[in-house]
Amino acid sequence: MARDIDRRDFLTLAGTAAGAAAVAGCSGGEGTPTGDDGSGGGDGDDGDDGGTDTGTPLPEPETRVGYLERANRVLNEEVPWIYLNRQYSVYGKSADVNWEARRDERIDGYAIEPTGDRDSVQITQSAMDSGLDPHDHRETPTDNIVLQAYEGLLSRDREGKVVQELATGYERLEPGRVRFDLRSGVSFHSGDSLTKEDVAFSINRIVDPEVGGLDSPQSDQLAGVTGAEPADGDSAVVVESEGINPVVFALFATYCDVMNRSWVEDNDEAYINSHMNGTGPFQLAEYEQDVSVTYEAYGDYWKDGAPADELVITAASEASTRVNQLVSGETDVIVNVPPQNISQVDGADNAEISPVPSTRVIYNAMIYDREPFDSVQFRRAMNYAVDLESIIESVLSGFADATSQPTLEGFTGYNSDLDPYPYDPEEAERLVEESGYAGAEIELHTPNGRYLKDLEIAQAVVGYIDELENVSASVNQRDFGNLTDVLLDGDITTGPAFYLIGWGNATFDASQTLIPLLTSDGSLTSYKNDRVDELIDQAQSMGGGEPGTDS
Amino acid sequence: MGRFLAKRVIQGMAVVLGVVTVVFLLRYVTPGNPVDFIAPLDASQETRRRIAEDLGLNRPLYRQYVDYVGDLLTGDMGYSYRSRTPVRPRVLAKVPATLELALAATLVAVALSIPLGVISATQRHGPADYGATLFSLVGISTPNFWLGVMLVIVFAVQFDVFPTSTRPVGLLDAVGNLVVVAGPERGWALPLDASGFLADLRSWLAYITLPAITLGTYFTALITRLTRSGMLDQLGEGYVRAARAKGLPETLVRYRHALRNTLIPVITVVGLQMGTLVGGAVITEAVFDWPGLGTLVIDAIGNRDWPLIQGSLVVIGIGFVVVNIVVDALYATLDPQVMD
Repeated sequence: MARDIDRRDFLTLAGTAAGAAAVAGCSGGEGTPTGDDGSGGGDGDDGDDGGTDTGTPLPEPETRVGYLERANRVLNEEVPWIYLNRQYSVYGKSADVNWEARRDERIDGYAIEPTGDRDSVQITQSAMDSGLDPHDHRETPTDNIVLQAYEGLLSRDREGKVVQELATGYERLEPGRVRFDLRSGVSFHSGDSLTKEDVAFSINRIVDPEVGGLDSPQSDQLAGVTGAEPADGDSAVVVESEGINPVVFALFATYCDVMNRSWVEDNDEAYINSHMNGTGPFQLAEYEQDVSVTYEAYGDYWKDGAPADELVITAASEASTRVNQLVSGETDVIVNVPPQNISQVDGADNAEISPVPSTRVIYNAMIYDREPFDSVQFRRAMNYAVDLESIIESVLSGFADATSQPTLEGFTGYNSDLDPYPYDPEEAERLVEESGYAGAEIELHTPNGRYLKDLEIAQAVVGYIDELENVSASVNQRDFGNLTDVLLDGDITTGPAFYLIGWGNATFDASQTLIPLLTSDGSLTSYKNDRVDELIDQAQSMGGGEPGTDS
Repeated sequence: MGRFLAKRVIQGMAVVLGVVTVVFLLRYVTPGNPVDFIAPLDASQETRRRIAEDLGLNRPLYRQYVDYVGDLLTGDMGYSYRSRTPVRPRVLAKVPATLELALAATLVAVALSIPLGVISATQRHGPADYGATLFSLVGISTPNFWLGVMLVIVFAVQFDVFPTSTRPVGLLDAVGNLVVVAGPERGWALPLDASGFLADLRSWLAYITLPAITLGTYFTALITRLTRSGMLDQLGEGYVRAARAKGLPETLVRYRHALRNTLIPVITVVGLQMGTLVGGAVITEAVFDWPGLGTLVIDAIGNRDWPLIQGSLVVIGIGFVVVNIVVDALYATLDPQVMD
């Protein structure tokens, strides 16, 4: 069968399951299951050993979650990756504030509570914003800066569960159409009330290059959404998607800040990028580009006012600089404390470390059709060869979790029956012999400094593999831009056969990791397996349990 | 003198054009497509293509170069890839902080090194000389990043004498509080808010002290050695002996005659070093999170934000050229033979 990796289909990426028709026996998407919170157990899938190539096959799953869990099981057995670790976000926090970190790498100033007679709170990030237009960027530092002032329809709590924000109810009307009921009594910082026209306009501004004077780089974040319009009569908005788009609510819980239509239309790009007009708990007081953003609590916020009267966000790219600021009491929350600085923060009496599991997985991809990685035995051997627990302990100071599958714990579709591969070098050597690739020489390509301790992790992995009698391994440090260039050119044959990379997925849905990384058409795929493609197509053709609905 | 300066200015423009050209050539060989730094990993090919088109990246490089130089002549430095805001105001906003730091470091260096060098030369082989020589050796060998971090740990974290980093107010703002600031957004600021002004100035001084010492140490050591050897040379010259024979007081001989002649090469080195400092003291700025050109360039390089890299380097190039012209002019005044 010819490889057709060059078929880069945007719709499939978007999870709209354009190719789902190939799968028999499930029309999918009929009816609108609501009320099922989507985190219910799997599909009776509790066999403790492989269902794909040994023993009796497991029964076919029945729910979307079941299909995703089954895909994760197959991927645990077929090991397209060396499963490494879930990254943690390690924050530092001063003793003068009460605050619990979130899992999605976002800092919510509303949750920072100054104690004593303090009324101002400062956050030090590693970088400043790339402009204040909430629809015109795609990185965490800017997210954190705009999110203090802007809000979306839905949001997430600290664990990542979907909660209501500007929407009070949401339901699937039919495949491809969902409806959000809007909260009343919400006002923008400019004083205008929030209307359904504002919400529809905001969604369209992201997905439609013709709307709102902006070709938004966030259109992929609302993948599959084609547009929105105000509902007739009620204070509600109807959102249209191509296909059933089972993750639509998960997307809106993470993305799409609501803006004021008239404010956007009356002002130019430069103004929108240097001012803010949202519905959030903080309004902009002063903006000094590249230096600092100062906010004050918004008096007419629809919830209780923010605990802090003033919020300041600054940045320092050097980790030790941030740590020194924290321990001298100059700032309250700092991001990304690297392992070597943890003891300095923990040792200070006015500061502490605040670690939280993030939504980012670090892994080693092994291109499925390149020697020696085209042998499943060899790929399994690589997983047995690496002492993951030791790497987590020594390189990452324990702030990481070992993974057994591409999907992280707590995500929709995570399969809780799977365990990480144990460290077993003898088994690894035996499997290498079995694979017929004894004596193989492999090279792990890794960025340096892009992810926490990426190079050190790569060196440790290669060290373990190199210890095997019958494999030799080495590290090749690559410039991140140079590496992503070859990985993202849409051609699986141009990149390295074996590389380390990290993948963040703030939607908490397995599909948004599996589709881009492990299906035939993924933008960053290293793998092709008809069974996995079929399971994911199946999952994406079903309106799964809607997250967080309590109606 | 006028002709001499005009020639220098024209040469300077050629240098700046050279900088721009080299940066454009670097774009050819630098790995990493700017789109990769703007779009996330999971962006679709379609999104990536749109971004590239938006930024004009799909036009041939020579066209981009010609357009850029053309715009530059009109003072337009283009738009940042990452933030899509104009480059010029962003770069110019960083100039004061960089100049403040460069001047403060120079001040620290000159104030310390010239007396040290003179003492060292006049008390040759005495304890003071050995002390000063040792200090220079240590100063020249100490890397900035280590010194900066140590100063912070000792004087900011342990003893809390100075703040660590991220200054709240620049000199211009501090001084600006003395004058009336009228603006559509601020209304009328209170004039002559003396207490606030003093507090701002104090804060500015507190924040600049450690970075200035960090940046000035190498510089101090260099000029101390230069002053010492220059002074020793001059003190051995015939005119010094003649002056002493005439019965002039020793202080007059040393400071009026010998030191003046010693300072000619010192001024050159100070000028050239200042040029380097104007280029943004990258490491020192990073340690103290100083909002200058060095920090901006590093961020821009990290994001492959070429317009911002170019804009910063053009401004740095201009700074270098200006400092050099000033040094040449001073030199020509001190030693008219230079102009020939």
